[in-house]
Order: sequence, then C-alpha cells, then structure tokens
Amino acid sequence: MALYRLSAVRWSRYNPYYMEPEPRREVYVSEKEKDEERELKRVRPIKAATSGTSSSLFSDSVISKFINVMMQDGRKVLAREIMTQTLETIKRKQVEKYHTATETKKLEIECNPYNVFHQALENCKPVIGLTSIQRGGKYYQVPIPLTDNRRRFMAMKWLITECRDNKHRRTHMYEKLAQELLAASANEGNVVKKKHDLHKMAEANRAYAHYRWW
Amino acid sequence: MQVRSVHSGSGLQLQAVAMETEPHPAKNLSVFRTTEADPARHSEQHAAQYYTLSPTHLRTVFPHGLPPRFQMQVKTFNEGCVMVRPPALEIISHLKKADYSKPALHYLLYGATGCGKTMSLCHVLHYCSTQGWLVLHIPDAHLWVKNCKELLPSSSRPSRFDQPVQASQWLQNFKVTNDHFLSKIKTTRRYVWTKRERTEEGRPLAELVEQGVNRVKSSSDVVGALLRELRLQAGQGDFRLAVAVDGVNAAWGKTSLKKEDKSAVLLEELTLIHNMRKMLNNDWCGGAIITALSQTGSLYTSRLSYLPQELLGQEGFDKMDPFVPVPVSNYTEKEFESCYLYYMDRNWLQHPNSKCESGSRLEKRQGQVQENSTGAGQWCPGAGRKPQRSLTPGCTRNVASVSGLKMLLLGHYLMHAFNTVMLLQLVP
Repeated sequence: MALYRLSAVRWSRYNPYYMEPEPRREVYVSEKEKDEERELKRVRPIKAATSGTSSSLFSDSVISKFINVMMQDGRKVLAREIMTQTLETIKRKQVEKYHTATETKKLEIECNPYNVFHQALENCKPVIGLTSIQRGGKYYQVPIPLTDNRRRFMAMKWLITECRDNKHRRTHMYEKLAQELLAASANEGNVVKKKHDLHKMAEANRAYAHYRWW
Repeated sequence: MQVRSVHSGSGLQLQAVAMETEPHPAKNLSVFRTTEADPARHSEQHAAQYYTLSPTHLRTVFPHGLPPRFQMQVKTFNEGCVMVRPPALEIISHLKKADYSKPALHYLLYGATGCGKTMSLCHVLHYCSTQGWLVLHIPDAHLWVKNCKELLPSSSRPSRFDQPVQASQWLQNFKVTNDHFLSKIKTTRRYVWTKRERTEEGRPLAELVEQGVNRVKSSSDVVGALLRELRLQAGQGDFRLAVAVDGVNAAWGKTSLKKEDKSAVLLEELTLIHNMRKMLNNDWCGGAIITALSQTGSLYTSRLSYLPQELLGQEGFDKMDPFVPVPVSNYTEKEFESCYLYYMDRNWLQHPNSKCESGSRLEKRQGQVQENSTGAGQWCPGAGRKPQRSLTPGCTRNVASVSGLKMLLLGHYLMHAFNTVMLLQLVP
C-alpha cells in the first residue's frame, strides 16, 4: 500500500504550498519523472521528511506502521529492535522447520517473515465493526463498515495487546509476537478468534443495522 | 552453464568456475562448500570454503566451545558448517611442524569484535581433537570472573575462593570431550578431599573427574589437581595436550566479584583463575597453548580496544610473552561471497531485494553480512551502536567496507532508517 502523503492533513503546520518529499529511489534512478514535475520541484519548497521515512530497499510501510503502534513513550529504537528480533525469530523457526521437513512439505512452508507478517495481519483484519449508537435512551451496538486504515489499526492493536496481556510474563515480547504471528498466519490463535467473535456479534446485531444513518 | 553473478565485479569464485568447468546441466555446483571434513587436510585451496562438522564431533568436541549465535545457526540449518580461514590454517600449520619435546608455544588470536577469533579457535581445536590430542577447552574465561552467585571460601587454602558451580559444569563438559583419555591416564599422587574422601595414587583420572562432578564443594580443587596431572604427564609423550582459552585477558584483568564484607576479590584469590594461570605458563612440554582475546565479555576495558597490549595489560603481556600473534580480520571479498552463497543455499536470505545486486551491495556496505556466529534478522538498514544483524543467522561482526569505493556509488546515503530522504539525483 503506497502512501501518497507522508505527513498528516489536518494538524500539519506546513503551508499547503509545500510539496511532499519523495523517498523512493527508483523515481530518481529511472526517468519516470516528467518535465513539469521536475520544474515544480525546482521552484516549490518541499516539506522535511520525518525520521521514520526510509529509502532503503528493505523498508516496508506496514512494518513501519506496526513499529509505531508498538512504540511506547517514544522509544522507537526499542520498538524497532523488537520488530527485527520478531522477524528473525519467525525466520529461524520456519527455516528450521524447512530443513527438517520432507520434500513435499518443504513447498508449503513459508520462510519469508515478511510474507508471514502480511498474511497474519490479513487474517486478523475484521471485515465489519461495531459502534455504539444512542436511540431512545439506550445504547445499541450497531454493525458498521470499516475503512482500510481502521481495519489495519484494529488488527495491529489486537496483536500487540494480546501479546502484552495474555502471555506468560517471563517470555520476551519478540517471542510472544513471533508465536502469535505464526499462529495468525495459519488462522489460529487468540487474535483470529477475537476477529471471529466480532463478526459473530455483528451478525447477531444485524437487526440494528438501520440505526446507522451514514 | 548458467552462472548467476552475485554482484558484478567480485564474482571471483563463480567466474573462476565458469571458465574451468564444462557445461553440464545436471551438475550441482557448490563453490562455497568443500567435502574435506578432516581439518588436517585443509589448506589454502580450501580457503573461504565451508566444511561440515559431523553431529558426533559437534556433540563431543564442542559441548561448550561454540559461540551461542553459531549454536543457534547450527540448530536452524540442521548442520554445522565452519569456514576455512587463514588464521586457523596458520595455527594448524604451526602445530604440524612444532617440536613437542620443547616447552609449549603460545598462540594468540586477536582482532576486532566479531571477526572470527572464537570460530578460528574452534577450527584449530577440531584439528587437535581429530589428531588424538587431549583438548582442555575453557570456553570463556570471563564467565569465571563475574556473575558468580556462590563464592565459597576454599577448604584447602585459607585465602582462596572457590566457584563450585562453574568448576563442576566445566568438569562435566571436559568429561564429554576427553572420555577416552580419562581411563588411560593415572594420578601421580594422593589427593585428600575431606576426612572421608580421597583419591589414591595410580587411580585413573576418570575417578578424579567423578569426584569433582559429584562433590560440587571440592570441584575447584579437583580442577586444580586435574590440571596439575595433565601438565606433568603431557611431557612424558603418551599424548599431546592442547590448552585452549577463549577470553584469555580475563586471567590478568579484574573481577567484579565481591566478598561478604563488600570488598573486591582479587584475581589471585580465585582458585580457578590461579590454576588457569599456572597452566598458561609455558614450563611444560608436549603440547600447545592456543588462546584468543575477547573484549566482548571483559570487565573495565574500552569497547574499541582489541590489541594484545591493551587487553592483556602489562602483567598479562609479560606472562604470555613470547607468543605467536595471529591477527583475525573481517571477511575478504571471496569470503563474503562464500558466506552469501552459503546463506542462499540454506534458504536464509528471504527478502527478494537481498538477492538483487543493489540489495546485496547494500548489505555488504552497511556491514550487515557477518561471520557465522550470530543470528540475524533480515533487514536492518537502521543503525544503532549494535552491529547490524541482518543477513546472517549467526554473526557478530560487520563485514564493513571491503571495497568502499564501489559501494559509495549506491550505498552510502541509503543507510540509516532514520536517514533523511534523498533529494539528490543518483548517479545511475
């Protein structure tokens, strides 16, 4: 998912005249830029890029978002370390399984931790959500559609809270995350169960769907 | 024959092979591996190639010797492969030519953190073990001078301190490595441990080791007795003794241990260290003393220091003098390529970008290919003080700029995750 805007719209202190910076290197290496765009860049000022942007070949926007959600007290370095260790742990487990598996089984094992992560996140995203709407003095849980951003955020939040709260306290975060991600990518585990519970609740409350007016 | 070049300009191994071999579609090409599993037959032609350690050897020769990251790698890949590198080859060639009727020679492996000193030491020990030597391996001397929960005052001498847990653990590992020797070598004098326990003269060493393993309280003294016996009998020519100490600078550094009245413990007061120092003295014949420095676990030393003078200190240097210094450096181009091919073969490099030219160059430039002893994730373009752990299952050291100029073209401003964005035109 390509982000077309790197800084927020509503609370940005920048003059709207400022343009977004371009972190992707292929734009500069190839001749994809058209002449008018290049002219614009010569004249118009460009916003400063945030510390979190990267032009590395190995950077992934979803992973960066996950790191930000996991970060506490602004400790980005720690959050990144945990993420790196998580990806390493996932890869180790999968590669170990790969090398001890039979030939037929080898094709089914996904060794790339990025694919495992993306698959797990996909499996954890709810399709439909619930919101509290007041009618006649009572509050009803009404099923509503969710935007992509909201779904992604819910999946990430569930993964992180599940790992923080419901696991043995002596295990490291990266171990807990690795276990949960591997389980989620196979459609097992508590987070996927939570998603299914949400879907069931929405299905049960479908009578109230007309309370939604947007 | 399809020869996929890893990155242009330094496909040395692949180019060489492409020129020599005839096209054969079914041939399984592995330029980074060698089938020669006997370290005695390793030579310069095997340099930068991986040889496989058999599972029995891994269990018996290295119960405690391998770096923890390498152990993780062995578990992940289901095989233990060590790269043949010049420092180890040098020491092995010296060992082949040495005169064992003269006093033991000191060999000292030194180099920056993560360059491969411990792995070279393990390679040499594998050679010694396959040649039938008795291997006395102290995996990390730093573990004996810090973080000791139980420090008992010694029963035999008033001013000494024992470390029962460390000593008994070491004795167990020693037994695993040298089981076949313990029944052949006999003690030369009587040892009295307590009122009721003693080991008579002429008993096999296996009994001595059993005593130390079972009675943890006297295990440090057992270690001392064992070292004494081996020192005396190595000179008689039945067997050759290889004393290997990793982190030898701990023997002449400082401890962080404290007595009960909060005063610091001196190194001389620790039984284990005292006996180790006597062993490192080259007044015995019939073997070799192979050591490696280590800054990583050492106490009260600067992180950047790696030279023998800095780490050993004045006292240590005088005691080790004269020694054969063996420098261990970062991977060369050829070794890097070998490591890269090995990881590709073992299905460790997963990110699609790591297989392309710029990706592999990036990893090389960012110093992310490291020697085979630490585990790593796969991406870590970001920096930080810690060594970048990417690309490798088990490495500690960066293979930093090998050919910096080449890398500068693409790599140098793509490094940190917190880099500012490139606003300049890249040179294509």
